[in-house]
Amino acid sequence: MVPRGLQFEMIRSELAEIVGDAHISTAETDRLVYATDWFWLPQMWLDRGQEPRKPDYIVRPGSAEEVSAVLKIANAYRIPVIPWGGGSGSQGGALSVFGGIILDMKRLNRVIEIDEKSLTVTAEAGINGKQLEWAVNEKGLMLPHYPASANCATLGGYLAPRGTGTISTKYGKAEDLVLRMQVVLPDGHILRTPIVPQHAAGPDFFRLFLGSEGTFGVITEATMQLDYQPEARLLRALLFDDLTQAIEAGRQIMTRRLDPFVIRLYDPRSTASRIRKILGYELQGAYMVIGFDGDPDLAALQEEKAMDIIGRFGARDLGREPGEAWWNHRYDFYYPPQSLKLPWMYGTTETVTTYDKIERLYYAEKRAVEEGFADWDIDFIGHFSHWFHWGVMVYTRFIIRNPPEDATEAVRLHNRVWNTAMTAVMNHGGMVNEHHGVGLKLSRYMQRQYGDAWPLLERIKKALDPNGIMNPGKVGFGF
Amino acid sequence: MESLIAATENCRYCLMCRHVAPVGHVMHDEALTPHGIALVVASQKRGLLTWNAESVAILYAEPDAGNCRAHCVTNQPLPAAIAAVRAQVAREGLAPTVAYELRDRLREQHSLFGTWQPASGRSRTVLFVGDEGHNLRPDSTAAALRLLEAAGIGAIPVGIGLSSGYFASSLGFPALAKSLASKCLDEIRAAGAGRVLVLSPQEQFTFRQLYPERLGVAWPDDVELADLSTVLTEAVNRRVLNIRSQPSPAAYVDPSHAVRVPERFDPVRLLCARLLGQPPSELFWRRERAHPVGSTALQFTRPDIAERLTRARLKDATARGAVTVICEEPATLHALEGHAEACGVTVVDLYQALAGALC
Ligand SMILES: Cc1cc2nc3c(=O)[nH]c(=O)nc-3n(C[C@H](O)[C@H](O)[C@H](O)COP(=O)(O)OP(=O)(O)OC[C@H]3O[C@@H](n4cnc5c(N)ncnc54)[C@H](O)[C@@H]3O)c2cc1C
Ligand code: SF4
Repeated sequence: MVPRGLQFEMIRSELAEIVGDAHISTAETDRLVYATDWFWLPQMWLDRGQEPRKPDYIVRPGSAEEVSAVLKIANAYRIPVIPWGGGSGSQGGALSVFGGIILDMKRLNRVIEIDEKSLTVTAEAGINGKQLEWAVNEKGLMLPHYPASANCATLGGYLAPRGTGTISTKYGKAEDLVLRMQVVLPDGHILRTPIVPQHAAGPDFFRLFLGSEGTFGVITEATMQLDYQPEARLLRALLFDDLTQAIEAGRQIMTRRLDPFVIRLYDPRSTASRIRKILGYELQGAYMVIGFDGDPDLAALQEEKAMDIIGRFGARDLGREPGEAWWNHRYDFYYPPQSLKLPWMYGTTETVTTYDKIERLYYAEKRAVEEGFADWDIDFIGHFSHWFHWGVMVYTRFIIRNPPEDATEAVRLHNRVWNTAMTAVMNHGGMVNEHHGVGLKLSRYMQRQYGDAWPLLERIKKALDPNGIMNPGKVGFGF
Repeated sequence: MESLIAATENCRYCLMCRHVAPVGHVMHDEALTPHGIALVVASQKRGLLTWNAESVAILYAEPDAGNCRAHCVTNQPLPAAIAAVRAQVAREGLAPTVAYELRDRLREQHSLFGTWQPASGRSRTVLFVGDEGHNLRPDSTAAALRLLEAAGIGAIPVGIGLSSGYFASSLGFPALAKSLASKCLDEIRAAGAGRVLVLSPQEQFTFRQLYPERLGVAWPDDVELADLSTVLTEAVNRRVLNIRSQPSPAAYVDPSHAVRVPERFDPVRLLCARLLGQPPSELFWRRERAHPVGSTALQFTRPDIAERLTRARLKDATARGAVTVICEEPATLHALEGHAEACGVTVVDLYQALAGALC
């Protein structure tokens, strides 16, 4: 935190010289708005009328060169710099926990090139996800990263925390779609990664920046793989009596490489609550939506083969309509008042592991959370939504409808629930996170998660950012 | 009022209409998005902020153009909520000075942009000309009346220079808005109208939605409300209005507030196509994602933002290779023309062009 006074003003004027006076703000109101991203804790803190930790400066650079110049100033004065895309991250990754400079990337929003031959788009990292999608749609193409936050997140925000979208099961995570990036290192050096990521010309340093959440540098531009918009999208819904059978059906579909673009499997609790609330279906069991896309004949054949497998598990075929209804309303879950919303306490403890472990992990986490917080009448729901050849991600959530009113008590309870959930996850071979990133929220679990590999990450951090200015307090790195 | 303001409690942590939020898009500032403004309101309520020049400037940076609500699955009336908060702020004397100046002008003249001429005559169909239609682009209005005549639709102008109440409501003066609403309805009743045609989606929205929702004023059940471009398109389709097409490419600019009246997207394009001999080309920011250009109080409260929005539309056109843009709505045309030359773009007034191309 930079104390107000002469030095504060000097730094402000130096920053203004770089980006122009119109693109820097130290206004109280702006600082308050940038004091929270989509992490429950800071939102609750504000909700209870508590003074938040605010950034000192909000700076909106218009080029990689401006980013570089800002980082040089930050190094000179040892001020934290926190990249900010859409502020939609749920992990507190964009919070200025030590004050400093919020680097709002949204002015860097140009589409630089759409290559219709290689099917790529190169764009600046601050571009809004939906606007980028519209731009490529005009050429009959799509960027097959469809997170529920496309309306608000940025391209850089897709990549920095290694995000995953609804159709990742076929098309991959954001990190699988990126071919090339321009990155500004903490010391201000601007670099471009090699022209393609798949080669044998040396080590893959490219991936260092994916998942570094702004702690290793600032992504200013990215080239992403596109696809043709699918001619057909075949969706249908199924109801399994039993979650175990449903997971096994999903596993068989994936390991036989039938290539669904989505398998969304709700646990019985979510089926009874979320599916009823949003889609209006009163069902008991595990609700699954499965979809195949692309060439209509191929998609139909893949669906037929998948239905053979599903048939063996005795699932009820609910037909196309409820599958399509889910597709059309899949983001309705996120609009208030339908979304999870304060004053409730909630958190998404999503995790990923291999097929041999996933079910035990899910039940272990469920039991630990439900039993540990029974006094709080905690609700634990989940869906399995991003499937790989080797395993699956489970998007588990806890909800406490009557959390403590006192903000400090609420923080304590929140952190206890998280500790319980993450301990169960790690004890059962899961990662603390599959797509939301680490941010501030999961920082404290990183050492345990990485074990003897953690010192290597610390050494890399030290080498890249000796003054520790880049997003301190996140991803397990201190200040 | 309080029930409208409650929407800010929903919006304060919702980012789902960010992609269509026009001011956020041109200013790149988190505080100037639906979420940001709602969070400012919620924070003031919780004692984390006070209303002062800086926070009020944010409150008055919302355009009241309806983009957020048009994309809101749960239909949160955020623009109405912000207008209600502005009303509280204005009552406490904390609104921007310009808001009070505009209020005084509206009180005295019933018009922001010039003068109001009370209407005379009676007709079943009337054209509500409004403040911007009469005072900013009288020639467009005259052309619109000529087109109606050519289509065999006898209509007299009402609301000539009269503000509908939209600006008063938007600026935070609901009582004044209500009195302007009464004036508008009085003129409509005095003309014996059973059908009111409007030049602008702003007025259609105001009559249809703003009156009942923000002012508690019901639009009369026995008076049909229709959009002029839609009525003219029907006349063209029925071949009672015959237009000589004048082939030339142009990009269509959806007027401000168009997102609030989505049923007019197609008819007005058909009208353009009849004139141009081909469908107009489309901007990136079109139809349900169309951004406002003029016709909001931003031109007074935050002229810097209003100018950026207008220039952004012209840049949108040039980026798509258009040198001519076409639009039918007076206030949008007025705003576009203010910057067109500097951006190397020619602006075509659809109604004037159609009137000039009557067979
Ligand atoms: C309604 C909703 C639904 C969501 N659904 C999904 C989903 O389906 N899938 C998913 O993966 N996530 C989802 N999320 C989480 C979140 O949207 C994603 O993590 C998103 O990609 C973050 O993007 P952002 O631009 O908002 O980043 P921010 O929140 O601004 O930042 C996230 C982190 O990335 C860093 N960062 C941002 N930009 C850069 C940059 N250019 N260079 C370096 N570091 C940077 C920040 O410092 C921070 O640490 C959802 C969030 C919301 C609110
Ligand atoms: S208007 Fe709807 S979409 Fe926009 S912020 Fe409010 S709740 Fe979210």
